[in-house]
Amino acid sequence: MTVACAAGGPSGRHGLARIGPVRPLIRPARRTFACALRAGASFAILILRMFSRDNITEAFPAALPIILGYVAIGLPCGILNASIGMNWVQVGIMSVVFYSGAGQFMIPNMWLAASPLASIVASVSLVNTRQMLYSASIAKWCAGAKRWRSLLFAATVTDESFGVNMNRFLEGGWSVENATLVNLMSQTSWTLSCIVGALVGNAVSIPLAIASFAMTSIFICLLVTQKISLQNVVAAFAAMIAVFLCKLAGFGGAAILVGALLGVGAGILATRIREAD
Amino acid sequence: MVDPITWSQFLVICVLCTVTMLLCRVAPMLVLKGRELSPRAAEALALIPPAAFAALVANDLLTPGMFAAGLWPAALPLVAAAVVVVVARLTKSLLWCAIAGVAAYALLMLV
Repeated sequence: MTVACAAGGPSGRHGLARIGPVRPLIRPARRTFACALRAGASFAILILRMFSRDNITEAFPAALPIILGYVAIGLPCGILNASIGMNWVQVGIMSVVFYSGAGQFMIPNMWLAASPLASIVASVSLVNTRQMLYSASIAKWCAGAKRWRSLLFAATVTDESFGVNMNRFLEGGWSVENATLVNLMSQTSWTLSCIVGALVGNAVSIPLAIASFAMTSIFICLLVTQKISLQNVVAAFAAMIAVFLCKLAGFGGAAILVGALLGVGAGILATRIREAD
Repeated sequence: MVDPITWSQFLVICVLCTVTMLLCRVAPMLVLKGRELSPRAAEALALIPPAAFAALVANDLLTPGMFAAGLWPAALPLVAAAVVVVVARLTKSLLWCAIAGVAAYALLMLV
């Protein structure tokens, strides 16, 4: 980003400012914004070259439910982050590189609770360890893809986009390019709505409980459209019970990962017991 | 009131969380990519989606002591969730589920 700014510096209108002590034509904040926009646009073009028009027309309908959900929770997320003193640039950086809904809600909440930096980082990282499960699951879809394409795909997976892409891969005719586009469209909507949230701040109030239920609904849909087999049902119930018990025991941060792992274990156990009969 | 976050504090949190996040997102894929998995490993991986989504749903809907503040505040999301289950079985559409879920939740709050 800094490189792009420096390169755009001493040319055209900026040259005029050297003649006399004229006030800067572009205010610094504006210039940062223009630079960020330009850098973002050139990076986006670089990425988009990977994809064909077909990729885009196929990926958009798949991404749409995620996009709507991310707009609904991205706005309050940006507002919350602004309330601890983050500006829109910081919120934007966080959304692009870190890109975690749960994490970006946890950070301001823990900050407001005066948690030390180390415990914020540790708790947020713990909650996000569940991404390892998705990463392991997507490996087989990446088998034929080039390494850096699979890297971009893997680095942009979320709970929601994993579910959407999984359904499409199971239906067949889905590619890593399509899946990556779903991820990037989701990420773009997330980043933009977080930034808008940070800019409007507390000017609007969004009932978070209602907005976040969009995500819960997506998870419910992904869950109940799974194939109904013995081991799947056992795995799902065991996972739910384990999550509840984790929360009861005060390990809320690890609840999703532990619940999912115990669910997988219970599902395998169910298969073994049935095989033994 | 808590102090606003400074740039250096922001960078510490952002960089460290990003590093752990990227490791979790990328490392297992790189390790497993292009490998022939044993049937047992494949079976375990196939169970990840139902287990993970069930865990996410439970995490959103269930909290110990949720009924302490009265029946309705805790039952409301459960009723809305039941609506979503019906819509999901009928339409199999994420979009309709998200819309129905939010609408049901908002309407139930008016009750």
